[in-house]
Amino acid sequence: MNKWTKLTLPLLQPIAAIMVGLLAGAIAIMIAGGDILETYAEMWKGAFGGMYFFTNTLSRATPIILIGLGAAFAFRAGFFNLGAEGQMVFGALSAALVGLYMPGPGWLVCIVAIIAGIVAGGLWSVMAGYFDARFRVNLLISTLLLNYVAVLFAGYLVAYPLKDRSGSAAMAQSEMLDNSVWLPKLISGMPLHVGFVLAVLAALIIFVLLKRSVIGYEVRMLGGNPLFALFGGVKRGPMMLGAMFFSGGLAGLGGAVEILGSQYRYIDGALSTADYAWTGIMAALLAGSHPIGTLIASIFLAALQTGGMGVERNTEVPLEVGAIIQAVLILFISARFTYSFLKRRKGNKSDGTAV
Amino acid sequence: MEQLFDLALINSALRVLTPILLAALGGALCSRVGLFNVGLEGFMLLGAFSAVVGNYFFGNVFYAILFAIAIVSIFSFIFAYLSINLQANVIVVGIAMNALAAGLTTFSLRAIFDVKGAFYDNTMVGLPKWNIPIIEDIPVLGPILAGLTPLVYLSFLIAGLMWYYFYRTKSGFRFLAAGENPLAAKSVGIRVRRYQYGAVLASGVLCALAGAQLSLGQVTMFTEGMTAGRGFIALVATMLGQSGPLGVTAASLLFGFMDALSIRFQGLALPTHFTQMLPYVVTILAMFFFKNKSFQQDALKQGSSSR
Repeated sequence: MNKWTKLTLPLLQPIAAIMVGLLAGAIAIMIAGGDILETYAEMWKGAFGGMYFFTNTLSRATPIILIGLGAAFAFRAGFFNLGAEGQMVFGALSAALVGLYMPGPGWLVCIVAIIAGIVAGGLWSVMAGYFDARFRVNLLISTLLLNYVAVLFAGYLVAYPLKDRSGSAAMAQSEMLDNSVWLPKLISGMPLHVGFVLAVLAALIIFVLLKRSVIGYEVRMLGGNPLFALFGGVKRGPMMLGAMFFSGGLAGLGGAVEILGSQYRYIDGALSTADYAWTGIMAALLAGSHPIGTLIASIFLAALQTGGMGVERNTEVPLEVGAIIQAVLILFISARFTYSFLKRRKGNKSDGTAV
Repeated sequence: MEQLFDLALINSALRVLTPILLAALGGALCSRVGLFNVGLEGFMLLGAFSAVVGNYFFGNVFYAILFAIAIVSIFSFIFAYLSINLQANVIVVGIAMNALAAGLTTFSLRAIFDVKGAFYDNTMVGLPKWNIPIIEDIPVLGPILAGLTPLVYLSFLIAGLMWYYFYRTKSGFRFLAAGENPLAAKSVGIRVRRYQYGAVLASGVLCALAGAQLSLGQVTMFTEGMTAGRGFIALVATMLGQSGPLGVTAASLLFGFMDALSIRFQGLALPTHFTQMLPYVVTILAMFFFKNKSFQQDALKQGSSSR
C-alpha cells in the first residue's frame, strides 16, 4: 500500500457515505415534489450563505460539538453513553437555576453557572456508570431510560415550582436570565457566542489528552481491548466513573452554554426538539470518535439542520430532509464497505478465524 | 385505592403490554443469535406509521398490517445486511435506524398528509375489538378480556409458539446453537448467517405488528415519536426475560401493568410528569434484579464471533 492510498483511504469511507446520504436526500426531495438542485442550493444558502447564516450554523453546532466530544470520549473508553440528552438537560437546568438565583457580579455568576452545568451533567452520568460498575445494570439501557426521567423532571420543575409567571404565556419555562449573566457574543449582532470557543478548546484538549497522556492511553486501551486492559492493570470501575463524569460533564456544559449563550431561559422541550443530544452522538459516530473529527462532523451536521430550515423557508420540502440525510449517513458510515472491498480484492479472505 | 385497582386495570394493562411484548419477542430472537437490536424502537415507529398509511390508502385493516410488515421488513433487511454482511457495529446501526425512522416518519407525515405532529382521519378503520360471546358473560374473565384487539391474543400465541420452536424443534435448537457459539455451529454445518437473517426479519415483522397495535389499536391515529421509548422498554424486557419467550412475557406483563397504572394515576391530582416517569423508573429498578453478563464474557465472546 503506497503513501497516497494510505492518506486517502480513511477519507474514502466518509465521502462515500456522504454521497449515499445526499442521494437518499435527493430521493426524499423528489418524493416531496421539490427540485433537487434548487433544494440543495437553498440548503447551502441556509447553512453558509452570508455571515449571519454561517455564524448561526456555528452557534447551533456549539452544544452539538460539546455533546459529541463527550460521547466520543465515552465511546473511546468502550462505554456506550447514550444519555447525552438527560445530561444536557440537567446541565442546562442547573445553569439556569444558578443564573437566576445566585447573587453577585454577572461574570462570576456566569462562570459558576457553567461549572454547575458541568457538575450536574457529570453526576447524572456517573450515576448510570456507578449502577453499571457496581450492580451491572446495562449502561446502554440505563442511560437511555434516564433521559426520559431527566426531561420529565426538568419539565415538572419549570411547569410548577419555577414557572415564569410574569408573562401571560402559558408555556412551561423558567424566568429570563439577567443581561449581565449572558455569555458575550463573539461578533456583535451575530448569534455566535463564547461557548463556541469553549467547544473548540475542549476538542483540542481531548485530542491532546487521548494522544499524549497516560490516562488517554488507558482509555484507548480499555476501549480497544478490555481484556488486554484488564491484564495490563487498568481498573475498569474507577475508569468507568471517570470517563462517565467527563462525558456527562461535557454534555452538561453543552446544555449550560446553550442556555447562557442563546436561549437565556430553560424552556420545556426546547433542547429536546432541537435534537442536540442525538446529533452530537451521531457526530461522534460519524467521526469514529476522533475529537477533531467530531468537531468537524458536528459543524457539518449542524449545517444540515440549519440548511434544512432554509429549505423549509423557501421551498415546499419539509426540513426533516436534513434528518434523513443524517441518519442514512450514519447507517452507511458504520458499514465497512472499503474494508471488505479491499479484503476481497486482495483475496485473503480469512484472518485466522473461520469465515 | 379501590379506584386504582380493578379488573379494568388488568384489561388496559393487556392492551398496553401488547406492543412491548411483540417487540420484546423480536428482540429476544435477535439477541439469541448474538445481535443486540437497539433498532426495535425505530422499527416499531415505522410500523405504526406505515400501518396508518396503509389504512388510509387501502381502507382495510388487514392490508394495512400487511403493508406495515412489508415496509418494516425492508428496513430490517437493511439492518441485517449492514450488521451481518458488512460487519457494522450492531448498536450503531440500531441507533442510526432509530434516527432514520424518526426523521423518515416526520418527513413522510408532511410529504404524504401535509400535516405536522399528528395525523387523524375518520375514514380510517381501527383494529377490530373482539368481545367473545361466551367468555363475555363470565364474571371475572369477561371484563378482563373485553374489547381486546386480535393482536393482543396473537402476541401471546406467538410467545407460546416461540417457546415451542426454541425448545421442541430441531430447527429451533440449531437457532439457539447458532447464537450460543457461532463458530462451533458453523463447524457442524449450521448456516449461521441464515438464522441471523431470519431472526432480524422476524423481529421486523413483530415490530410492525407492535406498531400497528399502537397506531390502530386504542386510537386510530399517528403522532410523531408515538413509540415514546417503548422499544427500549421492550429491550429491557428482553434482557430481563433472559431472551426466553416465557421470561420475556413475564417481564412485559410487569411493564404493561406499570404503563396501565401510570395512565390510571393521571386521573388523580398528581402532576403528569411523575406518572409518565413511572414506567421508566420501574424499568431501571427492574434491571437491578437481573445481572447482566460480565463484560469479560462479552469481550471473550466478541473475540470468537464469526460474524
